[in-house]
Amino acid sequence: MKFSIWRILDLIVGGIFVYAGAIKALDPVQFANNIDNYKTLPWFISVRLAFYLPWLEMLCGLALIFRFLYRGGLSIVGALTLIFIGATVAAKTRGLDITCGCFGHASQHWNFWQHMAVDLSIFVALAALLSAELMRKAARDSKS
Amino acid sequence: MKLVAVREGLILIALACLPAVGEGFYFRDKISWRSPIPASELVTVDQAKAWADSALWVDARPDDEFAHDHVPGAFSLNEDRWSEQLAQFLPNWSPDKKVVVYCSAESCNAARDVAKRLRDEAQLKDVFVLNGGWEEWVKKNR
Repeated sequence: MKFSIWRILDLIVGGIFVYAGAIKALDPVQFANNIDNYKTLPWFISVRLAFYLPWLEMLCGLALIFRFLYRGGLSIVGALTLIFIGATVAAKTRGLDITCGCFGHASQHWNFWQHMAVDLSIFVALAALLSAELMRKAARDSKS
Repeated sequence: MKLVAVREGLILIALACLPAVGEGFYFRDKISWRSPIPASELVTVDQAKAWADSALWVDARPDDEFAHDHVPGAFSLNEDRWSEQLAQFLPNWSPDKKVVVYCSAESCNAARDVAKRLRDEAQLKDVFVLNGGWEEWVKKNR
């Protein structure tokens, strides 16, 4: 039962990242504009990230779903989520009214607090998955 | 655990490069790699002024900034009141007109976004973004 809950959480979080990546990979030009709206990176970096990040998100999402390269995927999406949260807070403090474009058109009209609620929920879920993985490893180590 | 995570993370980072490069190659002619606005969609104040009556000026700044001052004859069209202002603007457009969109300065994105929507949603051709925006206009018209 315990494992099935973690598995469901894997599927949900992995699915979110696959969806978020796919929606951005379909329109990299729009995603480049969304990154540029944060006004933290020069355009030539934003545009390259716009082609790269969606695929990284999708691969990490698939890693969580299929539990293949699982820890790497978990670490990367955790770091990405922290970066998204930091960038959103930084933009807010600089008075930038931005759309993150994290989930395509669905997230375009989200306000700052809605963005934060989604990002923090994902981060908490990732932290829970990481804790579960650490406990599983500890249990395995104690058996061997 | 840490080493495994780093090794697996590096594999994922490397794997993601492959489709990203492929997609970048596919989009190589459809995106501006050096500037958010392709040079062909930018217009200088002098060029736009030379278009005289064939130019339709669109102010993408917020309403209060437009009310304070704007390019003579410009239409206010910002994303806050898009539908309402677009309906007021479109009757003034004709196929022989060039649309020049501006926002506060070179660093703002509103002009780029409004220009994109005019092309994509209103299907207008010859839509340009004013290089340097309102700041540049003021500088050249002091």
